[in-house]
Amino acid sequence: MAARAFADRHRYWLLILPALAAMLIFYVWPLIQIFAISFTEPTTGFGNYVELLSSRAIRTSFVITFRVAALTTVGCLLLGYVVAYAIYNTRARYVGLMLMLVLLPFWLSVLVRSFAWIVLLGRGGVVNDALIGLGLIDRPLALMHNEFGVLIAMVHVMLPYAVLPLMANMKGIDPSYVAAARGLGASELTAFRQVYLPQTLPGIFSAALLVFVISLGFYITPALLGGGRVLMISEYITYQIQEFLKWGLGTALSVALLVATAAVILAAARFVNLRKTLLERG
Amino acid sequence: MEDQAFRTDLAEIAAQRFRRGEIDRRSLLKLLGALGLVPLIGSDKAFADAKELVLVNWGGEPSKVLQKVMGDTFTAETGVKVTVDGSGPSAGKIRAMVESGAVVWDVCDSGPGSAIIMGNQGVATPIDYSIVDKSKVIDGFTWEYGVANYMYSYVLCCNTQMLKETPKTWADVWNVKDFPGKRTFRKSVRGMLETAAMAMGAKPQEVYDFLKDEKGIKAAIAKFHELREHIIVWSSGSASQDLFLQNEVAIGCIWSTRAQLLRDQMPAGGFSVTFNEGVLSPGAWVVPKNNPAGAELAMKFIAHTQDPKLQVEWLKLIGSGPANPAAAAMVPDELKAWDPSSPEHMATQTVYNDDWYAKNQVKAEELYIDALIN
Amino acid sequence: MQKASFFRIAMRTGAWMVLAFLLLPMLVVVPVSLTDHSYISLPGQGLSLAHYVNYFTNPRWLEATWQSVVIGVAVSALATLLGTAFAVGCWFLSDFWATVARWVLITPLLVPPVVQALGFYRFWVQLGLIDTLGGVILAHTLLALPYVTISVFAALANLDRRIPQAARSLGASVWTTVISVVVPAARPGMLAGALFAFIVSFDEIVAVLFLTVRNVQTLPKMIWQGIQDNIDPTIAAVATVLTLLTASIMVVVSLRRRN
Repeated sequence: MAARAFADRHRYWLLILPALAAMLIFYVWPLIQIFAISFTEPTTGFGNYVELLSSRAIRTSFVITFRVAALTTVGCLLLGYVVAYAIYNTRARYVGLMLMLVLLPFWLSVLVRSFAWIVLLGRGGVVNDALIGLGLIDRPLALMHNEFGVLIAMVHVMLPYAVLPLMANMKGIDPSYVAAARGLGASELTAFRQVYLPQTLPGIFSAALLVFVISLGFYITPALLGGGRVLMISEYITYQIQEFLKWGLGTALSVALLVATAAVILAAARFVNLRKTLLERG
Repeated sequence: MEDQAFRTDLAEIAAQRFRRGEIDRRSLLKLLGALGLVPLIGSDKAFADAKELVLVNWGGEPSKVLQKVMGDTFTAETGVKVTVDGSGPSAGKIRAMVESGAVVWDVCDSGPGSAIIMGNQGVATPIDYSIVDKSKVIDGFTWEYGVANYMYSYVLCCNTQMLKETPKTWADVWNVKDFPGKRTFRKSVRGMLETAAMAMGAKPQEVYDFLKDEKGIKAAIAKFHELREHIIVWSSGSASQDLFLQNEVAIGCIWSTRAQLLRDQMPAGGFSVTFNEGVLSPGAWVVPKNNPAGAELAMKFIAHTQDPKLQVEWLKLIGSGPANPAAAAMVPDELKAWDPSSPEHMATQTVYNDDWYAKNQVKAEELYIDALIN
Repeated sequence: MQKASFFRIAMRTGAWMVLAFLLLPMLVVVPVSLTDHSYISLPGQGLSLAHYVNYFTNPRWLEATWQSVVIGVAVSALATLLGTAFAVGCWFLSDFWATVARWVLITPLLVPPVVQALGFYRFWVQLGLIDTLGGVILAHTLLALPYVTISVFAALANLDRRIPQAARSLGASVWTTVISVVVPAARPGMLAGALFAFIVSFDEIVAVLFLTVRNVQTLPKMIWQGIQDNIDPTIAAVATVLTLLTASIMVVVSLRRRN
């Protein structure tokens, strides 16, 4: 019996192996190489990291990256919470349609959506034209080529990542707690604040982690809508490598970004069930 | 009855399709043979030696013009098919090709700065000056891994419809009170600090004196820091064009070649360009290491582009100033206003200084980025 | 329960406003794609299909679309095959090491796209895979694997462990059990995973920017270059086609699920 179980285990590992090996050889190994390059190009040593730490531009770029990611997270949580709440709790009609509208942008290319925002937010874009046409403003607003435009587009891209974990969380909440609080005379708002909201904290943390971590690595949206002044680290890396072939600095920045991402995830492990948030999301 | 004109037309269409790569050489010859027209476009022997030469530049209208002015004339002379790819020969992409052993470009429309970077990294072929004629290039614009192909300027442009008055100097550009609106400058520092130096009063001839030490550079950087809220950067020539076309910016420091295209695209009278206080700069041909058509053919093509007549034609269509000093005398009067390297324009501009960039670019680049994003 | 209160109405209205915000950019590309101007704008005198004609007749756009489809189908097949086998193996084992392996497989979801693209680039140079279809397919397969394994694993959560055990004790081999008992249970997850994998590949841009030069032109790369160069309404036409395609796939999937 034990021998058979052992032989079985072998076979199960044979199923696992092709994907795992592909991932280790073609994904993890290249990442390790990136790590190595940051210490070996152009010369061996910590030169790239010294440059990284002493550069004001890089420091600013990191600040911008974290600020944009944080603001995107706050925006997504606020908007995403309302949507998730409405889907589960207000007995709104067309719940199916709502769900579909949340998921549709999830599957539409980030590039296409960034393009749409360019069309909307440009100086002669649809929003400005409409506002001028309505007589609300007399000169176009600067909606794009700045952090505002980047945030709008990023919240749009990341919103489904906030709604889905929140929904997963709210699905499991027993409505009888809120009903009991209401029965004891709490107002609807109080019942929400003191009974419902605390129960959704795990969902909020999961959503925040997902949105924040993915936002840290954004490249396409800030590059297209930032006007060059919202220089996030990913764009900085690309620029160093494409224009100046500075692989050493580019890879050192990559390592720094990776470490920052890992640190955020590890710090979040205290508040968030990582397994549920990352490994088992549906 | 067979109609000779019709058959010639068919041959012409076939030849066009061949050039576009839609049919291969064998089918073309078969077709021409069937039509009895092989001699019309040259013998089989000429085709047997024919290779393809792939040029690469930065897309848009300039690609079409490069094909027409330099490519097709080279084909007419040598029978070598020339294709222009507009996908942009950034140093990173060239290195990618060379390293992967899959080089598909023969001659790249690059710049002296990139030529030096690529030379240092071992991904470019040295220019063979026994084929390319140094005397056909303005003094000082030949390098080991690149040679000037045309001249362009960083010039002050504005959308006059968005402004009451037209700024004429860089000092005006920094004056946001009298000249409101967004400005566009290049994402890279190249050609940019010069404008800030002039805005602070340096004469075009004195710009690099002004920028010679840290004090001058820091002052120019501080000047950009001051203007940062009003700046949108452009990272490619076509992007700079688009910023004007979409009315995103009122004022800009962009390439004169793009300014010439904008002159025709913007509403009549709605766009102004001045070479006053411009920064005159050379572009450079660079040949990637192990280019598919071989170094010799690439050098021959570069030598072909040195023909002053072709350079004048290039100027006419796209505003690329001749790099061959012999062309100056051939520029017709009506084009002189658009020739970046005409004597009149030389007098009011500063000339891009490679030595300065070799020494200061890395540091300046970082300070410049910091000034804009901080 | 309670009747509609201010709080509920506010939440519901807010939700619809957020959904409008989600939908707005996708709707705006439609009129722009029908503009009669040659630049990005709302239609002036009338509607024009010129930009669709340009998309459907321009060999470069068509070639790029075709390459994206080819890459997407190959990625979908490969990732579904590898990912399903992986998830099934992990499901059987369900021990510490299998969990570690699952964490390894989802790393592409967390690593910044530019960083992984740099990694691919350097290794692909050594392997001679730069600017080849195979190189892009391999990279995209790795990026799609997490989606397949997660959805197959989710599907297997509903499978009673005693069923394969019973099959085994009745003498079926491991392989027979996998093929005839586990895979059928995993099928909904496989289908979803295959679709995810295709879409991930079809939309991917960052790795493509680093790994391709000239031979491989995907649709996102064309759009990217178009936005960077001259923004012309053809991109709006392409965006509209892609949006409609995505929406109709979603409708089909959700209808299938309902049946």
